[in-house]
Amino acid sequence: MATTTPGLQSQLMTLNLGPQHPSTHGVLRVVVTLDGEEVVEAQPDIGYLHRNFEKIVEAWALPGVIPFSDRNDYLAAIANEVCVCDAIETLGQVELPDRARWLRVLFAELQRIISHELWYGAFGMDLGAFTPFLYGFRDRESGYLLMEKATGARMLYGFNRVGGLRNDVTDAWLKELEAYLDFLDKEAWPEYMKLLIDNEIFVLRTKGTGVLTQEQAIAWGASGPVLRSTGLSWDLRKKRPYLVYDQLDFAVPTGTHGDNYDRAMVRMLEIKESIKIIRQVMKRLPDGPVLGKARASVRLPTADYYARQESPRGEVGVYLVGNGRPNAYRLKWRAPTFSHLQLVPLLCRGVKVADMIANLGSLDVVMGEVDR
Amino acid sequence: MSLPRTVWNTIKSVVIGHSVTAREIATRPITVFYPEEKPEFPTGSRSVPVLKVNEESGYINCTSCGLCERTCPPGCIDIEQAVDPATNKKKPWPHSYTLDLSHCMVCNLCIEACPFDALEMLDVPELATYQVQDLKFNKEQLLDLWKTGKAIRIAEGQPMPSN
Repeated sequence: MATTTPGLQSQLMTLNLGPQHPSTHGVLRVVVTLDGEEVVEAQPDIGYLHRNFEKIVEAWALPGVIPFSDRNDYLAAIANEVCVCDAIETLGQVELPDRARWLRVLFAELQRIISHELWYGAFGMDLGAFTPFLYGFRDRESGYLLMEKATGARMLYGFNRVGGLRNDVTDAWLKELEAYLDFLDKEAWPEYMKLLIDNEIFVLRTKGTGVLTQEQAIAWGASGPVLRSTGLSWDLRKKRPYLVYDQLDFAVPTGTHGDNYDRAMVRMLEIKESIKIIRQVMKRLPDGPVLGKARASVRLPTADYYARQESPRGEVGVYLVGNGRPNAYRLKWRAPTFSHLQLVPLLCRGVKVADMIANLGSLDVVMGEVDR
Repeated sequence: MSLPRTVWNTIKSVVIGHSVTAREIATRPITVFYPEEKPEFPTGSRSVPVLKVNEESGYINCTSCGLCERTCPPGCIDIEQAVDPATNKKKPWPHSYTLDLSHCMVCNLCIEACPFDALEMLDVPELATYQVQDLKFNKEQLLDLWKTGKAIRIAEGQPMPSN
C-alpha cells in the first residue's frame, strides 16, 4: 500500500520501462509499479527478441547450428559456439585437434574480457557515469578488431566448426594480442578502477544495494559472477574442467556480500584472471592442425548429452538429443541470464528507481540469450 | 562511514578521475569520421558471398551443383539450372542464382562447401538498402559485387592471409 503523508494524495503508478529504453540493455520490458520514487513491484516481460532458435535448429544440419548459436549471447558469441561444439563433438564422437582445444580456450577468454569491458561501460552508464563507457568501448573495439583479424567478423564470428576451428592464427596476430593484453593489464585496467570502481560515489551507490544471499542465488539458479559474488566459489572451469582448463593456473574471484559492488568487483577481477589464462595459453600453444577430419557430415547417435560451460555471464548449457540423423532431434539452450532475470522482482522490491537500473545493470542481462 | 570522511573520499575520487581523463588531452583521437574517412577492414572480413569470375575463361565457375544451396543453414541461396531449349537437356551452369542477403548470416559455410571454387567472400560492408527486396541479389548483381571489392576464399584450417 502506498504510504501517504497526511493531507497529500498519493497513489501507485504503473510504469513501462522499455522495451525500447537505453537503460534496459536491449529489448527488455519491465512493468514497474511505483510508489513515488520507490519500486513496489518490478515484473520483467520478455520475448521481444524471440527468434525460435531451439525449434529452427531441429531442422538444420548441425554445422549450421554453430553460427546461429552466436546470436544467442551476442556479446559473448564464442562462448556459445564452444559450448554447442562441445555438445556436438562429444555426442557425435568427433576428434578435436590439440591446437584447436587450446585456441578455443584463448578465444573464449578473450571474449570474456571483451564482454566484461562492455559490461563495465554499460554499468557506468546505468549509474549515470558516462565517461567509463567511452573507456570500456575503446578497449572493446580494439578487442573486436583483434577478433575480426582472426575470425573475419566483429561480433558474430561463425568461427568454430565441428571438429576444430575454421582458421588458424598467425604469430603476428599473437604478437598483437600480447600487446593488447599488456595495454589492458598495465594501463586500461588501472584506469577502469580509478574511473569507476574505486570512485566513492560508485561505492556508495553499489555497496549494500541489490543484495542477494547465497541461498537465494542457488535457489533461483544463478551462476557465474552473480553466484560467485555471494561467496560461493562455483566456476565450471574449475569444478567441471572442459577443454584444457585443468592444465591452467588461475584463481576464481569471489565476493562476500552478493551486492552490486561485489558483482562488479568479481567481473573486474575476472578480466585479470582471463589475461593470466591467455598468457599461459600463448606460452603453451601446441603446433598442428586446427581442424580435424569428418566434420562436414556429423551424425548424432540416439543418445543425449548436456554440455555445460562457463560463459562470461554464467553457466551456458546445451542439452542435445540425437536420433541418428545429421540434425538434432532436440536442442535445449540453458541461458544463464534467463535465470538472472528472474531475480529482478526479488532484488528490486522496495528500492529506488535509480537503484533498480543499477541492479539490472549488475546482472548483465543479454536479451538475445534470454529470449532465444 | 562518517560524513566528513565520505566528503573527503568523494573529492579524492573526483580528482583521481579527472587525472585519468585529463591525460586524454595529449592523445590523438581514435574515432574515425566515417563517411568521409573510412576505416581499414582486415583481410578476410566477411560481408556477403559473391560469385567469382574465372580469370582465364571469363565465366563463372558455378556448375549449379546445388551444394551451397543445400549447405546454407537459413536457405538463402536459390539456384535454377540452365536448360538447353532445343534438346531440353540440363546444362552445367546456373540459369539463375539468387542470394537473399536479408536472410544470410555470413557464416562462410557455402564457400567451404563449394568444390568448384565458384564462391568468394566479399569484404565490402556497405550494402544497406532502403527496401528489403533490394537485398535479394541475382547472378549479375553478385558478379558486379565481386568486382567492387576484394573478395577472397580462405582455405579451412589455414591462417588468415597477412594478418
